[in-house]
Amino acid sequence: MSAIQLTRQYHFSAGHRLESASLSPEDNARIYGQCYRQHGHNYLVEVTVEGRPDPITGMATDLGALDTTVKRFILDRVDHYDLSSTVPALAGLTTTGENLARAFWEWLEPALAAGTLRRVAVVETDNNTFEYRGRAAR
Amino acid sequence: MSADQVYATRKFTFSAAHRYWRAEWSPAENRRVFGSLTVPHGHNYVLEVTIRGSVDAQTGMVMDLAELKRVVSDAVIQRFDHADLNADTLFAQGAIPTTENLVRAAWELLAPKLGQERLWRLRLWEDPTFYVEYFGHADHGGT
Repeated sequence: MSAIQLTRQYHFSAGHRLESASLSPEDNARIYGQCYRQHGHNYLVEVTVEGRPDPITGMATDLGALDTTVKRFILDRVDHYDLSSTVPALAGLTTTGENLARAFWEWLEPALAAGTLRRVAVVETDNNTFEYRGRAAR
Repeated sequence: MSADQVYATRKFTFSAAHRYWRAEWSPAENRRVFGSLTVPHGHNYVLEVTIRGSVDAQTGMVMDLAELKRVVSDAVIQRFDHADLNADTLFAQGAIPTTENLVRAAWELLAPKLGQERLWRLRLWEDPTFYVEYFGHADHGGT
């Protein structure tokens, strides 16, 4: 049976601001605008994994196990934290949606069965979504 | 294609009118093919613009989203918002402003401004139940 991709959504809420240590305060304010100020979001994270449906259970992925892994490796690290100052694993990183999507991939990918993670999307607001499909992706 | 690409999507809205009608067909033929779509009506469209690229090491961004907003607003939203799409010069040659044709028209307007490499996908929602997607790249393999 051919492979199935499955996407599950998770929520967390966190504070952040956009500031690059390699830029001057003036450039930070100019480039990031209102995002330079301390603020926060209700983030939505979409995790897409791929697998072949088990002939007995009909399931491509154990969703309970996926939930546990995502909670441990992503949500517990960021939910109700300030991403820009109180998350050691994000230290030194400007917490744009782009960088968060890649960071979450790096945290999650080694914890899942090899080669099963296909996509991590960070939905920052209803209007802005950032997707990462790993280094091997086109 | 270099590795390590990130895809960023921003959503835009506009409201516009259109009708499906071929002038060279009889009214009866138009009604037979297009049904109620022959009557001028309108939609609240949602346009999702996806750009891709590598993340700038300094800013952590693929593209300044404020700039993306400016470009899409200037090139597409101001043109189509509260407009009669059938009257737009893009559809003067007889193409019907279906959602399919509209998404391709939007691509032609945006690609020169955002760059063929950077612009990845347009998804155009005609209403909450129907959207079309367009990947203007010849080499696109689907996502």
